[in-house]
Amino acid sequence: MTQALLIVAGLYLSLGAVFGVLFVWRGIAKVDAQAQGAGLGFRLLVLPGSVALWPILFKLWAARRGAE
Amino acid sequence: MSHQYVAVGWNRQKRIYDGVLALGAAIYIGLFVGLGAAFFPSATAETLLIRALGTLSFFLLHVILSIGPLCRLNRAFLPLLYNRRHLGVTMFVVALAHGIFSVVQFHGFGDVNPMLSLLTSNTRFDSFSQFPFQQLGLLALLILFLMASTSHDFWLKNLTPETWKRLHMSVYVAYALLVAHVTLGALQTLKSAWWAALLLAGLLWISGLHIAAGMRERRIDRQVTRAAQDGFIDVCEAESIPDQRATVVPVGGERVAIFRNGNRISALSNVCRHQNGPLGEGRIIDGCVTCPWHGYQYLPESGASPPPFTEKVPTYQTRVVAGRVWLHPCAMAPGTPVAPSIVHGA
Repeated sequence: MTQALLIVAGLYLSLGAVFGVLFVWRGIAKVDAQAQGAGLGFRLLVLPGSVALWPILFKLWAARRGAE
Repeated sequence: MSHQYVAVGWNRQKRIYDGVLALGAAIYIGLFVGLGAAFFPSATAETLLIRALGTLSFFLLHVILSIGPLCRLNRAFLPLLYNRRHLGVTMFVVALAHGIFSVVQFHGFGDVNPMLSLLTSNTRFDSFSQFPFQQLGLLALLILFLMASTSHDFWLKNLTPETWKRLHMSVYVAYALLVAHVTLGALQTLKSAWWAALLLAGLLWISGLHIAAGMRERRIDRQVTRAAQDGFIDVCEAESIPDQRATVVPVGGERVAIFRNGNRISALSNVCRHQNGPLGEGRIIDGCVTCPWHGYQYLPESGASPPPFTEKVPTYQTRVVAGRVWLHPCAMAPGTPVAPSIVHGA
């Protein structure tokens, strides 16, 4: 049971890592205009939270793409 | 309050704050390990380092939890609040180092995955002295991670201030978990009355401060206002509001900050859009109401931040009759311009 939970957590974070890098590289400026042209330091600072909370950001990004 | 996000909005105060914090942390760890090695020669360097990091992060958490209520009780503590998020991130980094060293020390040298070992090597949930306290620490660390990783204003804006605030209020859950972590862990091993007394003193300090601050807030909310005509209510003497400052009045379950700027009276919601800071405890700087917590600014006549910023708070209609300020308790939409009332003879 615990092992299964760890595997699920690992999968969640692996997906989050891939999404997080894409998000801070491209998506963040689509979701929030204040992030347009923001520096690497800001993007790296937002990365850990993007990995952890990727479903929320995915939803925001998808909604913004749908609105365009 | 910035037009384009930056990693850290550095200024002189923040550099001093962070410098003092880093130096203090380094001195604490050095002293703890050095004195520990001198007085307890049987303790290993790894054990002393783990304890130094654990006690430091727990102490910093007490400081962090004290800042909010202290600022409610006395404005002299506001400079501590100004850079609290750096204090929070530092506390998390120290706690993370404590966690990593502990996992390596106690679970890193077997043939089982260290995380699996941490979660499964002790399942004595029915025992007080043998309780798997490390799992409580892990849970607290996860909460602290979520808070630290969402401390930037990007998260405040995109999670919405309400959700962000709720997430960050979970610091109290983390605190409760850590009190249990220490009680069921270090105190069971050390059997020290001094450490137990320190833990209890910290718990009483945090509880006492929050109760005292809560009682003060209750007193403000219980202030009685008199009913009036045309929907306006009589709230205070215009001259009783210090120039460039505000009087806060509770109206219909909300707090309204009534500012006096020379002979002009304007009323805004007391809640800053940034981190729910108390606008009424700020003052008017360069013609703008300035939040005492992080310096967010709003024009008193419209509740809107000056361009290019976009934050807005609700405004209220006022009138001044015979030197007294009357307020309409219905909030206008955030950013709605309202002509200020004039105090004649001020």
